[in-house]
Amino acid sequence: MTAFMTLTRTQARVFLREPVVVAFGLIFPAVLLLVIGSVFPGATEVNAELGDKSLVQIYAPASAVMALLTLGIAMLPQAIGLDRERGILRRLSVTPAHPRLLVAAHVLVQAVAVTIATIGAVLVGRLAFDLPLPQAPGWFLLAFVLSAAALLGIGVLIGALVPTAQAGTGTGMLLYFPMLFFAGIYVPLEIMPAGLRTISGWTPAGAAANAMGDAWAGTAPTATSLLVLGVTAVASGVLAARLFRWE
Amino acid sequence: MSTAMTTPTSNAIAVDGLTKTYEGRTVVDDVSFTVDEGEILAILGPNGAGKTTTVESIAGLRTPDAGTVGVFGHDPLVDRTEVARLLGVQLQESSFQDKLTVREIVDTYRGLYPDPLDADELLGSLGLGPSAGTRYAKLSGGQQQRVSIAVALVGRPRAVILDELTTGLDPQSRRDTWTLVEDLHDRGVTVLLVTHFMEEAERLADRVALIDHGRLVALDTPQGLVDLANLEQRLSFSTTATLDEDWIRRLPEVSGVARDADTYVVTGDERMVFSVVSLLAAHDIVPGRLQVDQPTLDDAFVALAGRPLITDTDTGTTLEATR
Repeated sequence: MTAFMTLTRTQARVFLREPVVVAFGLIFPAVLLLVIGSVFPGATEVNAELGDKSLVQIYAPASAVMALLTLGIAMLPQAIGLDRERGILRRLSVTPAHPRLLVAAHVLVQAVAVTIATIGAVLVGRLAFDLPLPQAPGWFLLAFVLSAAALLGIGVLIGALVPTAQAGTGTGMLLYFPMLFFAGIYVPLEIMPAGLRTISGWTPAGAAANAMGDAWAGTAPTATSLLVLGVTAVASGVLAARLFRWE
Repeated sequence: MSTAMTTPTSNAIAVDGLTKTYEGRTVVDDVSFTVDEGEILAILGPNGAGKTTTVESIAGLRTPDAGTVGVFGHDPLVDRTEVARLLGVQLQESSFQDKLTVREIVDTYRGLYPDPLDADELLGSLGLGPSAGTRYAKLSGGQQQRVSIAVALVGRPRAVILDELTTGLDPQSRRDTWTLVEDLHDRGVTVLLVTHFMEEAERLADRVALIDHGRLVALDTPQGLVDLANLEQRLSFSTTATLDEDWIRRLPEVSGVARDADTYVVTGDERMVFSVVSLLAAHDIVPGRLQVDQPTLDDAFVALAGRPLITDTDTGTTLEATR
C-alpha cells in the first residue's frame, strides 16, 4: 500500500467518525430533497413561474451543490486547520511522506463523499419523485467534476491559510451562507431577479448549480458556468499549493 | 566550540555554526556539535535556551540562517526523504487525530516507511499493547507520549530525536521511559535527547551539551563537565570537642571553613576530605554526622552557565518561563 493510500484510508476513518460531517455532508442533501418533494404541494409538477421546471427538478441539482458546499466550504477548511493546529501536518513532514499527501487524502475522501451525496440526490429524485436521471450524462459528469474541483479547491485554499480549526470554521461559514444563497438553496435561482441571477451565475456556487441543472435537464452547461468553474478550480488549486502553511 | 571528528562516517549528526534568528532575537547562536553513531547525547538547558530550535533544524523543520546540519551525511533541507528515513523524531508539540486508535495511528505511520517495525512488537515494547484499541483522546498523558515515541521508532531509524520526552510524566512513567531510551541505546540507535532535567541527562547521556541563551556553553561527559567546572568538594561534620578552625584552614587542600555552632563545613579539592579527617584523628576528635557532597551536574551547570536550571522535577513544569 502506498503512503497516499494509507493516509486516505486513515482520513476516511476520521471522516466517518465525525457524525456531524456524515449527517450534514452525506445524508442531509438527499433528506432535504425528500422533504421538499414531499411537503410542498405540487412539487413534482412543472411550474411556469419556476421556468417550466418542477420544484424537485430544481432542488435535485441544488441539493447536490449543497453537499459540495457543506463538505467543501463548511467542513474541509476546519479539517485541514485542525491538522495544522494539532501538529499533524508538521509531524508528517518529518516522515518520508510529504504532508501534501494528507491534504490530497482529504480532497479524495471529500470527493468520494460528494459523489455519494450526488448519487443520493439522483436516486431520491428518481425513486421518490419519478424525476428522470440526468438527461445529458456526459455534460452532467463534466459539470459535477468541475463543480467539485472548484468548490473543494476553495475549501483547500481556505484550509491552506487558516492557522487553526476554529479559524477554518469561521472563514468557511462566512463563505458558506452566501454561497448557499447563490446556489439557489434559499430561493430557487429561477425566481431570482434577473440581475441577481446573473451575479449568481458568475459565482462558483451559482455556476455549479446552473451547470448541473442544465445537464440534468438535457442541455449543455453555458460557457459562463464552465469558465467560472474551470478558472476557480485552477486558481484555487494553484494558490493553495503556493500559499499552503505547513505549520 | 566545536568537537572536531576525524572520521565523518562515524557521525550520526553533525551541526556546524548553526544560527537561527526570530524577529531580531538570536535563538540559536553559532552552535556546533556532533553526535557519534550509537551514543546518547543530551542537549540540556533551561526553557527558551534554543534546544528545540536546534533539534528542529536537524530534523529539517527549520531553515537555519547560517551554518550547516548533516544527518548521516545528508542535508535535511536537500535530502528530506532520506533524512526522514534515517531519523525518527518525537516532537515536543505534536499530536494525532483524537478519534483514531493507537493501532490505527501506528499503522498509518507504518505505511509511510519502506521497512517498518511490526506493530504488535512495537506496541508491546512500549507497554501500549492493552491500549491498542483505545482512541488517542482517551489515553493518559504518559500513554500519548509513548504513542509519540512509537511513531518516532516505527520506521527503524538509525538515530532518533527525543524532545522533552518525559516532560509532564509522573515519576514512574518517567523511569519507564528512561528504560526505553536505554533499550534503544543497547540496540545501537543514536539518540539526541533534549531535556531540561539534570537527572535525566546525568542518568542517560554519554555526553551532555549545555546550551544557554542559544549558545553552546560546554560539551562533555557528565563527569567531564563536573571536572571542567572545577567544582570543590564539601565536607560537613559536627563535634562538641574544642576545635580551632585555623588548624583546618591551614591545610593546603582546604579552601574555606565555615562554622555554625558545633557544625563545620569545609570546602576544598578532592584530597581535602582525607586531610581533614586525618587532622581530626590526630587530635582524637570523632566527627559526628559526617557528610561529603560530590559536585553534581547541577552545580556544574551553575558554574558553567552562570545561572541555575530552575526546575521542579516532581511535576515536570518549569518555574522559570523565559520563553
